[in-house]
Amino acid sequence: MIVVLAIDALEHTLVESFSCRNLMQQFHGRTDISEFSEPRTMVLWSSFATAQNREEQVLALGDAGMWDFSIPHAETFFSWFDDPVVIDLPGYSYDLAQHARERALLKEFFDAEGREEKESVRAEYNRTAFSHHRTIRAKFAQALNEDHDFVLGYFSAVDVLGHLNFGNRTMMRMLYTEMDEIAGSIASPLLVLSDHGMEAVGPFGDHSGYGFWSTGDTDLDTPRITEFADYIRKQKEQKA
Amino acid sequence: MSEEMGTISIPQRLIRAIEERLPLTDFASADEYAAFVIGEVLAGLQEDESTVPDQEFSAEDEEKVKARLRALGYLD
Repeated sequence: MIVVLAIDALEHTLVESFSCRNLMQQFHGRTDISEFSEPRTMVLWSSFATAQNREEQVLALGDAGMWDFSIPHAETFFSWFDDPVVIDLPGYSYDLAQHARERALLKEFFDAEGREEKESVRAEYNRTAFSHHRTIRAKFAQALNEDHDFVLGYFSAVDVLGHLNFGNRTMMRMLYTEMDEIAGSIASPLLVLSDHGMEAVGPFGDHSGYGFWSTGDTDLDTPRITEFADYIRKQKEQKA
Repeated sequence: MSEEMGTISIPQRLIRAIEERLPLTDFASADEYAAFVIGEVLAGLQEDESTVPDQEFSAEDEEKVKARLRALGYLD
């Protein structure tokens, strides 16, 4: 089984400062996403899944259509596998209703007036994100216990929570520790990556201009997000 | 001790780690050890929160991050 732990907005500097040894594995570093005009979630994960820069195609759908975009299975590298499981990946198996709810609450937060109202909306936003995280964690654990040749778990909590809580270091440490524990529970060859990192704007979080990667066996240097399919191909060939 | 007690669940691996440490401490049980450690952590967090002011939602930061979230497609 080849496993990918896809963690949206996992920030390289925090993985190191929180000493997340399981996330760092033997080799880790930053990805090069400089070819993209902005570090957009749907663009980056679609490009990862297809090993092609999909920015033009995704942006042509507009901001509203972009989130519902889904790539045909045959165009992804998941089609190389007999029995892949890909959980909640943007542009492929994304839980549209869940993430639309998150964006609606995000808008509600910024439309709210007064500290009290904002805190109330943020609390609901956080509850929604944490609840979804628990669902994904359980699905991922179940898939890892089954007999698949490829499993990808996409975890959005670091990104979703980071946008409104990045200045809350306790929460960030808890999230990174949680993701580190998940990484530590995986025995199979593992690729950890993020589409982009996160950087502070006051108490809030913005996407940073690089992602995170790690493997247990290969130093990938500064790979482009479209190059991970080739790494996965080599892993598959080694297993054949 | 007449303090009201409750029950929480923690992973077995943490219980095993506590039990390994017990002989090196003055605690009589894993319950006492866990209660002490959790109390210390909570006290530390409360101290951090009382000395580091809550980050205010400044209008400038809000406008900056809203502009970024629009550019990223999260907000219209």
